[in-house]
Amino acid sequence: MASSLENLESQLELFAENVRQIHIIVSDFQPQSQNVLNQKLQALVHGLQEVDKLKSQVQDVHVPLEVFDYIDQGRNPQLYTKDCIEKALAKNEQVKGKIDSFRKFKANMLLELSKTFPNELNKYRALRGDE
Amino acid sequence: MMMGDQFRKVEQYSPKSSPRGARSPVVSRQDSSGTLKTTILLGKNPSIVPSGPFYLLKEPPGESDLTGATNLMAYYGLEHSYSKFSGKKLKEQLSSFLPSLPGVIDSPGQQDNSSLRSVIDKPPIGGKDILPLTSVQLDGFRLHPGPLPEQYRYANQAPIKKHKNKHKKHKHKEGGPPSQETPVSEVGPDTHEKKHKKQKRHDDDKERKKRKKEKKRKKQKHSPEHTGGGMTPSQHGSN
Repeated sequence: MASSLENLESQLELFAENVRQIHIIVSDFQPQSQNVLNQKLQALVHGLQEVDKLKSQVQDVHVPLEVFDYIDQGRNPQLYTKDCIEKALAKNEQVKGKIDSFRKFKANMLLELSKTFPNELNKYRALRGDE
Repeated sequence: MMMGDQFRKVEQYSPKSSPRGARSPVVSRQDSSGTLKTTILLGKNPSIVPSGPFYLLKEPPGESDLTGATNLMAYYGLEHSYSKFSGKKLKEQLSSFLPSLPGVIDSPGQQDNSSLRSVIDKPPIGGKDILPLTSVQLDGFRLHPGPLPEQYRYANQAPIKKHKNKHKKHKHKEGGPPSQETPVSEVGPDTHEKKHKKQKRHDDDKERKKRKKEKKRKKQKHSPEHTGGGMTPSQHGSN
């Protein structure tokens, strides 16, 4: 998959370079540049054909739509990855905190219940087994 | 399906033939976590009797290796990615990610109708083959010699947004901050203050006008002659 993405990337880079060269030709056009321009335009169409051929190789690549919002705002898409990782880490810490709090609560509750209801708690511990 | 199977099993274990008498058959369930331990008694007085010494005692959920208490970054092998993204300072602009892409790409896509979202919302009509251009079609690309018209020349560069400052200055001219305004009712010793403040404002306006003129002169020096219909370039000679 990495090679197919690299192929697509290099094809797109060639396409963008072709477009840039067309822009240079057109920005100050000379009659003798007409043939070169025609060649570049055919190369443009060929580039689109090549990109179209590569689409089958990257069909398994799923891109989250939120990344498109970052790109549309002119922002670095790596910031999306960074934001995702940071959010996941924050959520992980939050859930771990909850689990640890509930564990402490359970331990305290068992302790207090064993002081108040020792017989019942013995029955409970016998039912639950190793807990 | 599950219900059907249970009904079939119940028919096999009818109360008449059941070894457990009028009590419900023991049906093994795959996941019994969170279920109440009860016994259903059939017969003259059918009832549901909670079994066990504790009321509403449920079976605990099964132990899982992967919980929120686990360090998921380490579990999924993302520590390197995390240190890579959090360690170095990532630049905000899209151009830092795609440095080789020509043109201005840091501006929002909605400005020049080049957003990816528009492609998703309104996908282009496809399905046709991409064919090379014919000679007739290429004739449509015969261009006139010479440089591009002014309005298309600097399409690659972002226009300078100076109207913000102008608006601010314009607002400052018209109203002025309310704290500086003197009340009309105060007369006598405050008239001197009023005159002083008016002079100050007058001086400030003069200075602002001077600065504007200087900026215009600088622009005219650096920019080519403009007809007044196009964008003012921020850079020149880039292409």
